[in-house]
Amino acid sequence: MQRIGVFVCWCGTNIAGTVDIDQVKQAAEKIPGVVNVQDYQYMCSEVGQNLIKNAIKEQKLDRVVIASCSPRMHEATFRKAAKSAGLNPYLVEIANIREQCSWVHKNKEEATEKAIALVRAAVAKATLNTELVPGEIGVEPRALEIGGGIAGIQTALDIAEAGYKVDIIEKTPSIGGKMAQIDKTFPTLDCSACILTPKMVDASTHPNINLYTYSEVEAVQGYVGNFEVTIRQKARSVNADKCTGCGICTDKCPSKKAESEFDEGLRKRGAIYIPFPQAVPNVPVIDREECLKFKTGKCGLCERVCPSGAIEFNQEDTLVTQKYGAIVVATGYDLINLDKFGEYPYTEHPDVITSLEFERLTSAAGPTAGKFLRPSNGNKPKKVVFVQCVGSRDKSSRGKTYCSKICCMYTAKHAMLIKEKYPEIEVYVFYIDVRTPGKNFDEFQRRAVEEYGVNYIKGMVGKVFPEGDKLQVHGVDALSSETLIIDADMVVLAAATKAKDDAQELGRKLSISTDANNFFTEAHPKLRPVETHSAGIYLAGACQGPKDIPETVAQSSAAAAKAIGLLNKGKLVNNPCVSQVDEQICSGCLACTKMCPYEAISSQVIEVKEQGKIVKKTVAHVNEALCQGCGGCTVTCRAGALDLKGFMNRQILAEVDAICL
Amino acid sequence: MEKIANKVRETARLALANGEVNKILGWKKGDFWYDSYPAFITEEEGTASLIWDSFCVANLSKYLIEQLKEDIKVGVFLKGCDARAFNQLLKDNRVDRDKVVIYGLPCPGMIDPEKVKKAGLAKGLLDVQKSEDEVVFITKEGEQKFSAREFAYDKCLTCQYPNPVVYDELLAEEVERNNTTEYFYQDVEEIEKMSPDERFAYWVEQFSKCIRCNACRNVCPACSCEKCIFDNSKANVAGKAKVDSEEQFFHIVRAYHVAGRCVDCGECSRVCPVGIPLAKLNRKIIKDITEFYGEHNAGVNPSLDAPLETFKLEDIDPFETRAKGGK
Repeated sequence: MQRIGVFVCWCGTNIAGTVDIDQVKQAAEKIPGVVNVQDYQYMCSEVGQNLIKNAIKEQKLDRVVIASCSPRMHEATFRKAAKSAGLNPYLVEIANIREQCSWVHKNKEEATEKAIALVRAAVAKATLNTELVPGEIGVEPRALEIGGGIAGIQTALDIAEAGYKVDIIEKTPSIGGKMAQIDKTFPTLDCSACILTPKMVDASTHPNINLYTYSEVEAVQGYVGNFEVTIRQKARSVNADKCTGCGICTDKCPSKKAESEFDEGLRKRGAIYIPFPQAVPNVPVIDREECLKFKTGKCGLCERVCPSGAIEFNQEDTLVTQKYGAIVVATGYDLINLDKFGEYPYTEHPDVITSLEFERLTSAAGPTAGKFLRPSNGNKPKKVVFVQCVGSRDKSSRGKTYCSKICCMYTAKHAMLIKEKYPEIEVYVFYIDVRTPGKNFDEFQRRAVEEYGVNYIKGMVGKVFPEGDKLQVHGVDALSSETLIIDADMVVLAAATKAKDDAQELGRKLSISTDANNFFTEAHPKLRPVETHSAGIYLAGACQGPKDIPETVAQSSAAAAKAIGLLNKGKLVNNPCVSQVDEQICSGCLACTKMCPYEAISSQVIEVKEQGKIVKKTVAHVNEALCQGCGGCTVTCRAGALDLKGFMNRQILAEVDAICL
Repeated sequence: MEKIANKVRETARLALANGEVNKILGWKKGDFWYDSYPAFITEEEGTASLIWDSFCVANLSKYLIEQLKEDIKVGVFLKGCDARAFNQLLKDNRVDRDKVVIYGLPCPGMIDPEKVKKAGLAKGLLDVQKSEDEVVFITKEGEQKFSAREFAYDKCLTCQYPNPVVYDELLAEEVERNNTTEYFYQDVEEIEKMSPDERFAYWVEQFSKCIRCNACRNVCPACSCEKCIFDNSKANVAGKAKVDSEEQFFHIVRAYHVAGRCVDCGECSRVCPVGIPLAKLNRKIIKDITEFYGEHNAGVNPSLDAPLETFKLEDIDPFETRAKGGK
């Protein structure tokens, strides 16, 4: 008979407030095999852990059940404690009576009954637990950074500085991301380009950083420490080694109809183009959809004028496969599409613009060279109306339920930028709430109101009517309940931020999850904010949720620290809870190989003795280094030849039986 | 059929004589008119006892698993449904294609002895002869002719694959695909029409008849596991009590285990000594798979992966498209 110790944690009042600890203890004492039951206010504390360690030694416990929080929270803690007391850590079992019991129930009697059932199940499983010994795997000392915006650049620089190789994959032709498009940054109003472009150059010249621009993640295989990533380098049609970035090709290109992505469509660009003058790398790319040579076969002017013979029309996508120890995802965000917001004639009227378009209009490097002019007629506006929360905090299906977080601050910034240059322009801001938590943030917004005389109106805009060459803005001042009509020259919409459209697809490739809004999910909202549920994959920046630049950079350095910590280990302990094949029972149908998401199962031919004869047979074979212990194969196997160590079918059944008792 | 039967005997004799195969799997006649059972023949002279008649319904492909454990080459006669079964076994790595020579037999449909008995024609029956669409019952008193469809197995009436989908040699001309008037999923739709309660009551009654003889499992070409989970005491899934829930559990698990792999040969229903319409369960799943993922006929093309063993992004989510507890 086993000697099982049961330790019931109060978790302060988290558990004890809803579960009668004494009753749980009494019930646990009656379970066969249980020889020692104790409770404590905080089992995870040093005192609590010592309680467990001493009991293991003094009571000669050979199994430990801890009724506490989710194993995701403290299983590792308690396993470590058991190990230090000489018990194999896999003989520790957690009964989750917090997240799965006390937190979700109100009735103490029922919650107590459930807690007892969960303890019974954990004891039933623990009875069948066996000692497991983890193996070791190596770590490839190289990191991959997906996304080359400020988040990606910061993470890459930090990792590179720590002495590890980093590759940055950037989808567009240049690194820089959204920050490169921004004019000034809050709350200090320093120039975005002035602080970003040096970092871009640092990244491109760092001996440990390698850039894959105009590239995408094709496929990801492997596991923590040993990811194998296939990168698709899209055909640039320009040989980056030969190109000197002289720009003759982009000047001469006769096709100038494409809208510049960098300038948010406010300027045209050639079919061969460099996204912006400070682009890194400073190598043009041919937009094959626009290029006359690709569309009609005629032209080829760029090829003729290129002094270094760098134009290569026949270039094809290339696939590169590289091993990485860690991956940081920093794919950023986009603004939502405003097609469905008919009340603001964004799609019809050129003077209704988004905040990102505003950035380009005030940027010295933008289409108007920093002069703030109406896109419709090039005249200086007299009245400008800003509308906040366009699609943010919006419960209808056209918008997003969350707060986009950055709009209050950048709208204050925009208002101030206008007032700074043109004090005579009247500026109105319609808002639901002004949210400015952050260092020097509230002061910043108040300056817009108090020093610059920006008119903040609490209320929403009902509709914007184009009226002659004006935009008649109909709104309500919620504080005075007055209806307002403002004859504006321009309307700037703070469109909600959203996750990248392909976030789910990338998430699938990486086996990381996305939330209801397609932002990547962190492993724990408070305690593991930069990790994902997939070991070795970290998050940085707005791909995890709306973020401003200071927050993004902070998170990026945090992600870098996590990645460096992993790469620095050199070796990792394998999860011993992996699948194993009972070769006697396996029929070799190999259904498991098809279902395994990690390609950890292959087939092998073995010889077995059957009724005195040697018979060859095909059986499944698990690569323990690749197996992640998901258990998918065990339910695919009809005969039950596959079983997951630590979660054997009979252990699960014992749990079910114990609960149903 | 007799002409083809001659060819069966001749083919088998030659194959053994010239050493093409070491063993022949065919059928021979038993004591009764309906009794055509599997024969394992290794000697040339033994081939004379081989037959091909309207009762050769037994599927020989599954016997290959055991036979091929020896290092020999086996010749086997396979009908349409048997050939699909063979492909499924191939897919499950249970047979080695290189060690088998398949003699394909296009199948005109088999006669159901139960229907003959029910029609009161079994008494004094000496022989049953079948031409393309006629069946002749011969007794001491004389001959009686009927339409063959009247006495065919239900499964033969809706058979979509009478011709072998895999063979090395075809012993007769292919028969025309059964242009049946019977709707293919008639039996399933009868069940679908029931209310959940009626349906539950129906199956509870059916499974209550089960004596756990395991005939359905033993005959099934998709039930080819080295050791069935229900025979594995370590797996701890099978209870020992003689209660209805155990039988229900067994049959439902079996239906799921063969889901997407069932070749719809209908043998489970045929061999059940207590008459549980087991194939209905499997056919319901085939119908669902067809509706959810498009037509997938297990064993027709072994290079295709079964829809339930693969995942494609465009796969539908049945929980979204079908109401809970739906059809």
